[in-house]
Amino acid sequence: MSGRIRLGIVGAGAIAENAHIPAALSSNLAELTALSETNQSRLRYLQQKFSLKHEICFVDYRDVFTRADAVIIALPNHLHASLGCEFLSRSIHVLCEKPLATSVQECETMLEASRSTGAVLAVGYYTRFFSSTNLLKRLLETRLLGTISSFEYEFGTEGGWAPLSGYNLTRQTAGGGVLVVSGSHFIDRMLYLFGPARILSYKDDAHGGVEANCVAAFDCQDSGNSVEGHVTLSKTHRLSNKLRIVGANGTFEVAEGQSESVAYYPRDSDLRHEISFTSPITGSAGDDHFKMEIEDFIRAIRTGGKPMVNGQEGTESVALIEECYSIAQPIDEPWVDQSLKLIMGSIPPLDKSVGTRGTIQEFLGN
Amino acid sequence: MEIRKVLITGATGFVGSRLCEVLFLTRCVDARVFIHSTASAARIARFPLDFVVGDLCDRNAVAKAVEGCDAVVHLARGTTRVMQKGLRNLLTAASAHRVSRFIHMSSVAVYGNNPPDGSASETEPAHKTDLAYGNAKLEEEELVFTFSKRFALPVVVLRPPNIYGPYSGFTLGLIDRIRSGKMGLVDGGKNPCNLVYIDNLIQAILLALWKSEAVGEVFFVTDAQCISWQTCVADYASLLKIPISSIPSLTRVQPSSRPHIFRDSVRALPRVFLSGEFRSVIRQVPLIAMIETNLYERFQSLSPERQEEIRQRLNGGSSGTRNNSPSAVDPRDPMIVAQRRSVVHSSQKAGRLLGYNAPISYSEGMRLTECWLRASRRI
Repeated sequence: MSGRIRLGIVGAGAIAENAHIPAALSSNLAELTALSETNQSRLRYLQQKFSLKHEICFVDYRDVFTRADAVIIALPNHLHASLGCEFLSRSIHVLCEKPLATSVQECETMLEASRSTGAVLAVGYYTRFFSSTNLLKRLLETRLLGTISSFEYEFGTEGGWAPLSGYNLTRQTAGGGVLVVSGSHFIDRMLYLFGPARILSYKDDAHGGVEANCVAAFDCQDSGNSVEGHVTLSKTHRLSNKLRIVGANGTFEVAEGQSESVAYYPRDSDLRHEISFTSPITGSAGDDHFKMEIEDFIRAIRTGGKPMVNGQEGTESVALIEECYSIAQPIDEPWVDQSLKLIMGSIPPLDKSVGTRGTIQEFLGN
Repeated sequence: MEIRKVLITGATGFVGSRLCEVLFLTRCVDARVFIHSTASAARIARFPLDFVVGDLCDRNAVAKAVEGCDAVVHLARGTTRVMQKGLRNLLTAASAHRVSRFIHMSSVAVYGNNPPDGSASETEPAHKTDLAYGNAKLEEEELVFTFSKRFALPVVVLRPPNIYGPYSGFTLGLIDRIRSGKMGLVDGGKNPCNLVYIDNLIQAILLALWKSEAVGEVFFVTDAQCISWQTCVADYASLLKIPISSIPSLTRVQPSSRPHIFRDSVRALPRVFLSGEFRSVIRQVPLIAMIETNLYERFQSLSPERQEEIRQRLNGGSSGTRNNSPSAVDPRDPMIVAQRRSVVHSSQKAGRLLGYNAPISYSEGMRLTECWLRASRRI
């Protein structure tokens, strides 16, 4: 396949507007030939913003089938599998926004669709394109740290990404909360850096919805040694926002968003070394990681090689997330539940307070 | 009429999020939440609620959101447009759907920066003052009662003072100011702080939903105990391991007022003239250097008390008697201005008519607040 790949983008939410459309338009390897979005006013807005031709904008995603050789799926998470399979089964290559799907079962249907037609299935974990991710992998292989004993990753913000569709508000549409939205990037990197991981414990603050805070402990392997990793994620408050890997000889540290280098703190020393590649490995994409992602996807299509993150790897991170949720325990939050009975104890008209899920009286009786 | 479903506006805010938590966890009523941005909804998305994303200024969206709800709790704040047009849309829809309760969250700020002594109880009428936020809340109250009279909408207005607790802006603001050395105590912090713990306010909202005696009334909602600013600031300082003695005591803080460009400029001039930077430049003019030296010597000849008094006047009225520099404290900071209020707003009326009893004590409220501050690494 030579010339530019005909690329479609399915879903025109915030990530499409801020990342995928600009990246696709700036790439010499792709030609944006279709954009689909069910919300007409949103579609018109993006058409004007990016000066897109009217003929390439569609309300119905099925119009993309004949107009693209490859698509980026940038839809709410619960739609990834069904629409992804529709494209894959038509031999249209798919770069799917993370997470690949909301369950392993859904991921497997996508893998099967990809296998049966030979269409490439890639997953949009853009932080894999950070030089620091590559560099960290290389540095771990050099054994500079000696035997690795543990790692700790924290990422927390007050609020965060605001998907226009609001899909992030429910478990059905998002597949999870902060673990999926923020944490899946790290879960993917953790599997890349350390290989298969075993979940030791997982706690979150969800009450039937999607968690805003979670803490997880994983057991990973490093040359036959057990490495315990702790992950803390929050959408209600700031955390240290970095990854620290501790070894016998010192510590590697990568701050969130630190895309070009890795900090090395030798043990028993007050030195800090900033390690980076001698020359950038960004190629024509500069520091646009979404453009790198698209061009890596196109390279995989052209060469038949593996994209940076393929469907199998995307499935592995979904599997680990699914396992976390299956053993979830509640985070201790005394400020949430310890005063409830005091508040409700003095509400007098108990017989009038009837929600569809029970009564105050039942609550107080528990 | 039974209340089965409540529409909550401003549900992603501090009060709204806690109300959603309590409603869901106690299973007492179902909530539909009207939110403007999903970015700040993480706290309430922990619950499988009925989410509606929209703009209060969009009349159709508001009407649709109210449909099927038996009551409305209006907590949303925002621009003047949201506070007036958004509220009007909501009141219109609530009247049309004949909801059995419309609870409007106002504030004791309706009495301005210098609340009269009579505002110990709700019988004291509120008027326009020099506090913009209070005026906006007062205009909202007036709109709410207009709809109550015109359409027999069963409204309740709640006026809390400083709301503290987990996620509270008051709590976080105080922590930030103490930590950064920008907090001071006016007259040693002797005046009442007028606090309500968030869960006590939630109890008042629930009582206002169900008690028929609430309809058409305005209620102050406060804690049972009256805490002074000194106690309040000392307790937060203690959480930060900062000695209360290091927080400067301020006197003669002028009440906040609307900006007066000319007057404020004139008042600022002495500070500019006396600043080291200005003097070092102006001293290059020999005549001025001579006058300046003369004035400085006269100043030095005054008693220390007189010198201090002059410094206070020139520095906008603040004076430090502790270790920290009082000049770091902005006398126009709302948390400084608020300390000049001597009135204690009483929630006796809420107790009498609603059975409100502020079940969470100050010490318990502070204990729960500390748990959260530690868990969220604020301290």
